[in-house]
Amino acid sequence: MRFVRPDLHVLAGAYSVDAIDDDSERARFEHHLRRCQQCSDEVRGMAATTTRLGFAASAAAPPQLRDHVLAAVSRTRQLPPVVDHGSVPGEPRPRRVPRSAWVAVAASLAVIVVLTTMLVRTQSELDKATARDAAVAAVLAAPDARVITQATSAGGSATAVYSLARHALVVASAQLPPPPRGKVYELWLLGPPRVRPAGLLPATTGGHTAPVLVGGLVSGDQLGLTVEPAGGTSRPTTTPIVVLPLRA
Amino acid sequence: MDARGTRPASAGPGLPEGRDRDLDGLLTKVARGDEAAFASLYDQLAGPVYGLIRRVVRDPAQSEEVAQEVLLEVWRTATRFDPAKGSAATWMMTIAHRRAVDRVRSATAAAEREKRTSVLLTPGDDVAEAVEASLERERVRRCLDGLTELQRESITLAYYGGYSYREVAGLLGITLGTIKTRIRDGLIRLRDCMGVT
Repeated sequence: MRFVRPDLHVLAGAYSVDAIDDDSERARFEHHLRRCQQCSDEVRGMAATTTRLGFAASAAAPPQLRDHVLAAVSRTRQLPPVVDHGSVPGEPRPRRVPRSAWVAVAASLAVIVVLTTMLVRTQSELDKATARDAAVAAVLAAPDARVITQATSAGGSATAVYSLARHALVVASAQLPPPPRGKVYELWLLGPPRVRPAGLLPATTGGHTAPVLVGGLVSGDQLGLTVEPAGGTSRPTTTPIVVLPLRA
Repeated sequence: MDARGTRPASAGPGLPEGRDRDLDGLLTKVARGDEAAFASLYDQLAGPVYGLIRRVVRDPAQSEEVAQEVLLEVWRTATRFDPAKGSAATWMMTIAHRRAVDRVRSATAAAEREKRTSVLLTPGDDVAEAVEASLERERVRRCLDGLTELQRESITLAYYGGYSYREVAGLLGITLGTIKTRIRDGLIRLRDCMGVT
């Protein structure tokens, strides 16, 4: 496409050095980036350039870091490939869908059924609908709503329906084993500007947890789930059992 | 003749020919759960990853923490790496920079900013312990020297300093429009000088 919005295009440099701190501005640029081949080519070249700047700052890593990282690797499950249900017009589809992805699709559909059931019930009881139910419905119905499901390293899967426009997401889980005695599952919004606690997962009933509404979502956040002492903590104290990238 | 122009400082891409391909191959193996491949990748890229984070974050303990998070993220998300979109080195350094910036931009780090400002403008001062960067540093320095002072300061403050373009504009006393343009112009000039494709 030849048409380029100059005001946005000029942000390619600032974007490439992570210098856009306004989430909505960054989201606008990323939105533009997906539709502008010229811009994504430019950003790609700039990423290769900043890589060189980064290499020029190389320094010997502390010797103990290697052992720490390799030990963490040996006990950390890798994420399955992302299943992106909200396809962007013009963006090439993934070339192949690994088998594990279909399992994730099935799992996310199961959770959507749960969420939808809850939504339908909510609408039938409109008189006593709470603000929270309305907020959940608003996220599920948002035009930019996306769904992502991933397996957790503890078993089962977590699903989030999120809307960056509404700065909110709804989280549920399926087949997640109960947390160890005296522990809870705690949600976190990970990423810019910092890690924020996002509430506790309720107890599992019938293999699912009821949807949790999380507000304050900003572009660039990821959703993490950790095992924490009962009552929750203000900072994660364990490695997340799953991290959902909430991409725009 | 302007010796500080934009002529390529090296013929090929930034990393030695073949090195990028080796790293891409390693990361592809890592995506299949190969821990030995991850260890090799660590040995080749922990220095650049840690060094970059250290440059931005400055505090050694925090830098180590961020580096550990980044390297574990590389392991966890290797399945998302798409060689068609860029090299493994670029993918990892992009994650490292983003996480370093997240760290310094969090509210608790605000108080540290004053301290960092005084040392920001001297790239290369705390990388004496660099293990593999001397050649690369020389090339990068040569290309940085080819920029205008404003371009160079803007990019140094934004990339190595972890400042937002608004903050850089404030520090340099110029308009937001100018700073956005200078960062972009400067990066394009650096790209051409480095012969990055």
